[in-house]
Amino acid sequence: MRLTQRELFAIFFRAGWGFGGGLGVLALLEDELITRRGLVTRDELRTLHGMGRIVPSGTMTGVAVACGYRFGGLAGTVVALTAMVLPAFTLIVALTIGYDYLRASPLFGLLPFTLLPAAIAIIVRAALRLGQDIFRPSRELAVAAAAFALTLLTGFSPVVLLLAGGLLGTFLFKGSPRAEDPGDAEANT
Amino acid sequence: MSLLSLALLIGAFNLMTFGSGTIMIPMLQAQFVDGAHVLTADQLLYAFTLGRVTPGQANVYVASIGYMLYGMPGAMASVLAISLPGYLMIPLVKGYERLRHTAWIGGFTRGLTVASVGVVLASVVQISRDALTGPLAWLVLAATLVMTQVLRWNLLVAIGIGGGLGLVLNALR
Repeated sequence: MRLTQRELFAIFFRAGWGFGGGLGVLALLEDELITRRGLVTRDELRTLHGMGRIVPSGTMTGVAVACGYRFGGLAGTVVALTAMVLPAFTLIVALTIGYDYLRASPLFGLLPFTLLPAAIAIIVRAALRLGQDIFRPSRELAVAAAAFALTLLTGFSPVVLLLAGGLLGTFLFKGSPRAEDPGDAEANT
Repeated sequence: MSLLSLALLIGAFNLMTFGSGTIMIPMLQAQFVDGAHVLTADQLLYAFTLGRVTPGQANVYVASIGYMLYGMPGAMASVLAISLPGYLMIPLVKGYERLRHTAWIGGFTRGLTVASVGVVLASVVQISRDALTGPLAWLVLAATLVMTQVLRWNLLVAIGIGGGLGLVLNALR
């Protein structure tokens, strides 16, 4: 079945307000597509989400393209993606413009001991959650420690180190399921 | 750096990290902060935080970086760059059952994620050298970490209280 572009936009725009990163968006999308409209089954959405994790972009980006295509063809993909990204995009651009005003104001001098250290704490938290199952004696911990040391002690670019980690992983961790990025997923729980 | 190269770089980082906003941090830092010097560490931190405190996918924070460098066209190009790979879903829907059992994809992303934990934490060390300018900043960092990691408080609450603590202590000194 097909949806009008207006319906498709409404569904994904609402989902785009999900807090908590990709999983927050998924929860709202489930509510719209499964509970309220009965457009897809839970199994179908779960399969799409699984595929979204294989695609080299944000998982929900892939889900939006697949649903948009199914319910509205190529035009539907543009509508679904635009609608889903719009809430985050608008707020982020507005707050970035705010940064320029902030920079010109005396408040800017407060950032180094308010927002910036808190932001570093959030990155630490995201990294720890990415590796929540590796902080025990394991091959994983050895790879992470090597990547940490090589970044700080050598001039290797992170791109090289991460790709090397990935290639190493195809031998060391063959058959592991791709984990959802918990750092992104829990963004603001 | 041109608008096109900004979009290509962000697109490439997104492809390599499977769309993880966190793992992109060291790449963005190496490229834009330490390499081209077009962003400060403070700006990168600010952009990353925006992705965390707004709804939607957290990797949309690249829009903030795009805006800082090229205004609205930069913001739109950055989001386009992280969205386009999503179109691989259309052919994928047809061949999914075969791909699902492809062992190397799971191994590759596992290896990437594991290495990224080390690289991101190292990046934190490097950014901290620039961004943490005094004992008060370290105190706020420590307090925020305790609130999120030990007490497991809501992230927004922790940022609010951590920042508030910095304000109060600064006023007192």
